Amino acid sequence: MGLRERLGKEWLFCDGGTGSILQELGLKGGELPELWNLNRPEDIKNLNKGYFDAGSNIVNTNTFGANRFKFDNVTEIVTAAVKLCQEARKEAGREDDAYVAIDVGPTGKLLEPMGDLAFNDAVEVFKEIIKAGAEAGGDVVVIETMSDSYEAKAAVVAAHEVCDLPVIVTMVYDETGKLLTGGGVEGTVAMLEGLKVDAIGINCGFGPKQMLPIAERLVKCCSLPIVVNPNAGLPRTENGQTVYDVDPEEFAEIMGEIAKLGVHVMGGCCGTTPDHISTMINKVKALPFTEPVTKNFTYVTSFADCVEIGRKPVVIGERINPTGKKKLQQALRDNNIDYLLTEALNQEAAGADILDVNVGLPEIDEPVMMESVVLKIQSITNLPLQLDTTDIEALEKGLRIYNGKPMVNSVNGKVENIEAVMPLVAKYGGVLVGLPLDEDGIPATSEGRLAVAKRIYEAADKYGIPRKDIVIDGLAMTISSDPDSAIATLDTVKGVRDIYNGHSILGVSNISFGLPARELINSYFLAMAMQNGLSCAIINPCNGPMMASVRSFNALMNLDPKLEEFIGAYSDYVPGSGVAASSGAKASSASSNAVLTLAEAIERGVTGRAAEAMKEQLDSGRESLEIIDAELIPALDRVGKGYEAGTVFLPQLLMSADAAKAAFAVVKEAMSDKPRNVKGQVILATVKGDIHDIGKNIVKVMLENYGYDVIDLGKDVPPEVIVDCAIENNIEVVGLSALMTTTVASMEDTIKLLREKKPGTKVVVGGAVMTQEYADKIGADAYAKDAMGTVRYCDSVFGA
Amino acid sequence: MPLEVEIPVKEVQRYMGYHGIVDIAPEMQEKINKAIEHLGTQSHPRIISKEYRITVSEKTVTLHAENEDVTFESEGLVRNLSGCCVAILLAATVGPACDMLVRRASITSAADAAVYQAAGAAAIEAFLDDYNDKLKASYEARGLFLRPRFSPGYGDLKLEHQKDWFRLLDITKQIGIELTDSLLMVPTKSVTAIIGIGIDKSKTGCTGCKGCNRHDTCEFSKERA
Repeated sequence: MGLRERLGKEWLFCDGGTGSILQELGLKGGELPELWNLNRPEDIKNLNKGYFDAGSNIVNTNTFGANRFKFDNVTEIVTAAVKLCQEARKEAGREDDAYVAIDVGPTGKLLEPMGDLAFNDAVEVFKEIIKAGAEAGGDVVVIETMSDSYEAKAAVVAAHEVCDLPVIVTMVYDETGKLLTGGGVEGTVAMLEGLKVDAIGINCGFGPKQMLPIAERLVKCCSLPIVVNPNAGLPRTENGQTVYDVDPEEFAEIMGEIAKLGVHVMGGCCGTTPDHISTMINKVKALPFTEPVTKNFTYVTSFADCVEIGRKPVVIGERINPTGKKKLQQALRDNNIDYLLTEALNQEAAGADILDVNVGLPEIDEPVMMESVVLKIQSITNLPLQLDTTDIEALEKGLRIYNGKPMVNSVNGKVENIEAVMPLVAKYGGVLVGLPLDEDGIPATSEGRLAVAKRIYEAADKYGIPRKDIVIDGLAMTISSDPDSAIATLDTVKGVRDIYNGHSILGVSNISFGLPARELINSYFLAMAMQNGLSCAIINPCNGPMMASVRSFNALMNLDPKLEEFIGAYSDYVPGSGVAASSGAKASSASSNAVLTLAEAIERGVTGRAAEAMKEQLDSGRESLEIIDAELIPALDRVGKGYEAGTVFLPQLLMSADAAKAAFAVVKEAMSDKPRNVKGQVILATVKGDIHDIGKNIVKVMLENYGYDVIDLGKDVPPEVIVDCAIENNIEVVGLSALMTTTVASMEDTIKLLREKKPGTKVVVGGAVMTQEYADKIGADAYAKDAMGTVRYCDSVFGA
Repeated sequence: MPLEVEIPVKEVQRYMGYHGIVDIAPEMQEKINKAIEHLGTQSHPRIISKEYRITVSEKTVTLHAENEDVTFESEGLVRNLSGCCVAILLAATVGPACDMLVRRASITSAADAAVYQAAGAAAIEAFLDDYNDKLKASYEARGLFLRPRFSPGYGDLKLEHQKDWFRLLDITKQIGIELTDSLLMVPTKSVTAIIGIGIDKSKTGCTGCKGCNRHDTCEFSKERA
């Protein structure tokens, strides 16, 4: 019988430790154990055989670290390991009931945006290992010891793309139930279930005793077969050797306790031996077996957060959607991602639970933009995202790169649309918004909408998407054109809850299109919808009345324990002042700063006042260029000179730069329809291999304040990218930054390539280790000791 | 698991480039306080350490690991460890949250980014100092004394040796720090170090900034007025 048919139906057992046994056989600290597949095959075969003899059903090949970062003959090593494990199984006489598991461990690299390994590159790394293992005849893929859910996702996607073998994933949590990257048990399980793995579990990290509470949490949230593979307790060093403190009897005893929680596959990890495993098997086999129980939680997750749908209304921030938002449209056209990120942070601060991300504009490449925006937003916020697009390629790119289990907006009842969207959600996992409209359009009545919703549920069944992961849209449409529309929508929401026991969602503000005082209608409608069972509200969380409606509802319905959220938000509330939540970050010194002039505000670095003063000057009819030349630049110069003279410290310079930037933003908005006066265009980049960008970012702010257009290529930028960009935009000055001596070499490579491909380009370099001497040695045109130095150099080149 | 040690305000200011007695604008002090608060609650510090026998010769230090000897050529390290026959290898990080806080701040404010950067540096140092104090107490109870921390990249100990630390302590798997191809650590607020253990109490004093070959040019030198 295949493993897939047995998982969750009977007790199954994994193997135990590998490293500790190989060390006893003489494996050196720096030696790669996988090399033994070729050099000492008998030892590896005996290691595997020991576990088959002990009774393990799932025995891992010796391929934990067999990836291309450590080996250039991955296929050879993996193939040898599978063959050895198969031989061991044969010799042990276990060919009928035991399986050869292609063992896949972490790459040892962190994935972008935290680290430097791109998600799709990680998928390729794993594909190489798993493909070799599957072709050699492995029976199951075991992805283990993963401390980053994102890397686990890369490995699962790889496995599913190269073979049809069952996939088991076990993660490493700490005592608090957290992964190294911050994720918790529930969120990780939701993501892995969405990815359709065959079993989920925990391994390594600590011994069985400490693993017990984590196993308990797993049993509560996981609907799939559960695997538990602890270490033999905690390691300690004895005479230079690592030893573990839990012996086979104690191990078996505690594993028996864990077995009773309702887990399904058990084995060991570091420090456990065939003895531990056989003793455990004898103990556990005698215990009753319970099959996995399907859970009814709906979770939307990021790498760190886990938002439950259905417990209380979930707020989905609608601000990252270009429809009807001119500034956002312009930001997307200019590739000004910082604008989107600022919107993300603002909505988070205002209380959003999930952020909608829609980057669809006819003139941009939506799939590319979706991928890059998802990655960037996830680098700055823990909030889960709702991928909102009608472009199927953009949806696939977003789903693939996303770290966690996202919401997907949306599928509708049209057969063609279901066939395009549902396979993607089935592959990558996600909570899917279903729009109850079909080939005949939008049904006018709730009965019509609920009938289409039913077909969406049935289609989800067909694709293996659980019904709990479908959220039906009540389709809010303006009451200004159809007076019955709110009623039909509310009845749909209620029907989804009462008839289908399902979840619902609304784009709330559509209800008031074309009316004055929209927030009044919107916030009352939202309250009514929540009372009718609305699960998710897509709203602008920065709008006071809307969040007031949500917070009041939660307070009234006992969904806000001790009213903490409500009191926290409105403790400073002034009746009749409009509904604005206290943000907690109000400028405390605002009143004393109200009298500062623009120049003073910039010199003192008071951002809010600088913007306000600039607006006052513009309102009084003064020309923006004159204000900049007469007040803003001289003020910045005074601070800059003080900094160069050592009387002003860097932090003060930065505060002034922030204030000037805020004042410029006011000018920019006022002149958005007029051409800008730009001194010159400059490329800035932190060179390849270097991930420090704070210095470069400071230079960017300063250059922009002084009237330069900066193309910021970011950090860890390869020479070719910098050179291509310089050629494409015919750039005169390139600024390069490097913090470490080890990365100055890539600075030199970049300069060489620039000299060759685009001679005449000026290069200014800077960074912590950089000196004039270094700069000369690597052939730079100039060394700038700080941000002001770069400004001065650019002024000299552009004759400004 | 929050940081559980206090991040010293003065250290944050020093990492920001303030030296001597300065009048810090209230707006800036507010930023510093906020950063300290956020880092204190959002950090998830982790540490791994292991004791090894070592042999110190004239120009090298050899560390005796499981089935493996690792040799460091560094006069600075030899000076630091002379007379020791045991040393602790360690790695520590405040976790990924600090890097995210810096990234978030960079979007809206260069000043905020610099503050978080400095607070993160002060946080990992404070965390390590606290750990150091605990080690010190436990060894001194046994009549043993700790030498000052020494890290790959200090003086003439090549940064290349980061690879030895990562291999011996299995740092990536144990506490989640990655070593990039250019030998940088992610999360960035992470430290690797060796601490010698000896019987000579007179050598425990921290040489501080003077022990570094760049102390006269360093922006952050503690000796600078």
